Amino acid sequence: MSDLTILTKYLPLLIPIALLQFGLLVAALVDLMKRENTKGLPKWGWILVIVFVNLFGPIIYFIFGRDE
Amino acid sequence: MSFTTAFHKELLEQRRTRRFMIAIVVLVLFGMTSPLLAKMTPQIITMIPGGEAFSMLIPTPTINDAVAQYIKNITQFGVLLALVFGMGAVAVEKDKGTAAMTLSKPMTRWSFLLAKFAAMSVTFIIAVLVAAIACYYYTFFLFGELAIGAWLVLNGLVTLYLLLYAAITLFYSTLTRTQYVAIGLSFGTLILLGILGSLPGIGANFPDALISNASLIMMGETPKNWSGLWVSLGLIFLSLAGAWLVFRKQEL
Amino acid sequence: MNAIKIEGLVKTYGSVRALDGLNLEVRSGSVFGFLGPNGAGKTTTLRILAGLALPNAGNASVSGIALSNTTPAPYARTGYLPEEPAFYPWMTPREYLDYVGRIFKIGSKERSARVDELLDVVGLKEVSKRHIGGFSRGMRQRLGIAQALVNHPEVLLLDEPVSALDPAGRKEVLELIEELGKECTVLMSSHILADVERVCDTVGIINKGKLITQAIKAELMEKYAIPALELVAGNGMAQQISEWKERIERMTSVSGVSIEGYTFRIAVKDVHSAQRELMQDAIRQNAHFERLEIVKPSLEDIFMQLVNGVEEKK
Repeated sequence: MSDLTILTKYLPLLIPIALLQFGLLVAALVDLMKRENTKGLPKWGWILVIVFVNLFGPIIYFIFGRDE
Repeated sequence: MSFTTAFHKELLEQRRTRRFMIAIVVLVLFGMTSPLLAKMTPQIITMIPGGEAFSMLIPTPTINDAVAQYIKNITQFGVLLALVFGMGAVAVEKDKGTAAMTLSKPMTRWSFLLAKFAAMSVTFIIAVLVAAIACYYYTFFLFGELAIGAWLVLNGLVTLYLLLYAAITLFYSTLTRTQYVAIGLSFGTLILLGILGSLPGIGANFPDALISNASLIMMGETPKNWSGLWVSLGLIFLSLAGAWLVFRKQEL
Repeated sequence: MNAIKIEGLVKTYGSVRALDGLNLEVRSGSVFGFLGPNGAGKTTTLRILAGLALPNAGNASVSGIALSNTTPAPYARTGYLPEEPAFYPWMTPREYLDYVGRIFKIGSKERSARVDELLDVVGLKEVSKRHIGGFSRGMRQRLGIAQALVNHPEVLLLDEPVSALDPAGRKEVLELIEELGKECTVLMSSHILADVERVCDTVGIINKGKLITQAIKAELMEKYAIPALELVAGNGMAQQISEWKERIERMTSVSGVSIEGYTFRIAVKDVHSAQRELMQDAIRQNAHFERLEIVKPSLEDIFMQLVNGVEEKK
């Protein structure tokens, strides 16, 4: 099987995963933008973490970065 | 009853602090990716440079690999979430002074503690349930049908395993005012119980046996030794009772 | 009848005796000012009364309910405001007051009316839908007062209720406390005497974990009605102020000194000899002042006399 056929075969299964991850990323960024202060890292630092740390970036932000 | 009031507040807190959503998203993602990863392991290895040589050695993945992958991921990350969610439960409320505000009113300390455990239980029960459903469908498409009864038992045992660590962390959180001390102690206990569980002979009496029993059931076998289950239930009870005994006379 | 009765209360933290046999009685319906320097034991006393700390010895009762010395007792009829009230940052003030109302088992209809009323009283109506996390210290203090009032308490325990507020907020809250004093007993701790002087009808002074005196404010003023002196240093005396203060403190006819800016407030044992001493000192040290006058004693002077008096005896 070539890589492409694998991809097309599993695509219906990959889409929900990608959507969930993307949704989480967007939710984290929106939350970050609305916030004046963050904990642990400055705002731009959290943007980097959210965008570049796959899956766990947004989660780590939600747990540790939100400063109310 | 003051428990209802405290429970209501804890549930709202789980939602507002996004913990409810985080638990569901994390576990559901692993519920989806676990069977997928199991299925694709041989292909992934061939994609790694030099991996072609090993591809012959790797057997074709089976439904059991998908289940094993799921158990490993859900317990690992679930326990991590239980530790992170539980560490500040009481410690932070004591440190910030919110516990003093609440407990100078007619709210019993027992309700205050129990509501925290109950709310965490709700979060984990729902998160594991959603993850189990997701994993069930992914496995169905990739490998075939899972035995539903056994699948439910497996997920029940996994949930209990997560709640055990939630209870232990809650106990440590009442001991201290620093949440990082609480998570450190919990992590130590996690490692200790892991070591005890891997000892030959007596290992089957520790909480990790919940997980091995769960996979046995999934493979259609009947586990003989259930002492790990009783030990886990006992530890949950002891953690909560211990937390109350400590908290009862604690100055806030 | 006494709303609060404290007998021989002892509380130790390690080797420190925070409370050293405290006796106190607060008459029902009074607004009791609990005065003392920092670390005197005011907060400890209030925490014990609120059921958050346990005494090592002694008895206390609030609203006729004795404090048990085994488990911290919950109170349905008291309101407590700690020095730094803390809230859940993710809640709104409305939600927090509703939560408190639920703890007191107030029915939902009555609860929502009470919450509205209190938000109005403390002036948080406009921000009632914002998260408390973004509140200023003053806003949190006002919410703290509101949460202490949800259950229409018979006894209100307030720990430094106005210290964190700006002058305008302070005035508002003091007026509110004055108003509340008509309906319930208030025990209010403070280290700012002017505030106590303004709203309290009874005063208790605590130092080093012991009650020094307790009296109706008017009686206290009369009893210690030795006038005080006020001396305003002249321009250019800034560098010598602290030295000057030390000299005044050593004078035999002086019992206490406090400074505010260029103004010395001097509690004296005898007005005329103190005046003489001050003037002689000023001539000798070549210190000049703009004004030296006799003033009516304030609670602050009495407080200084009492607290210093105890220290001298030791």
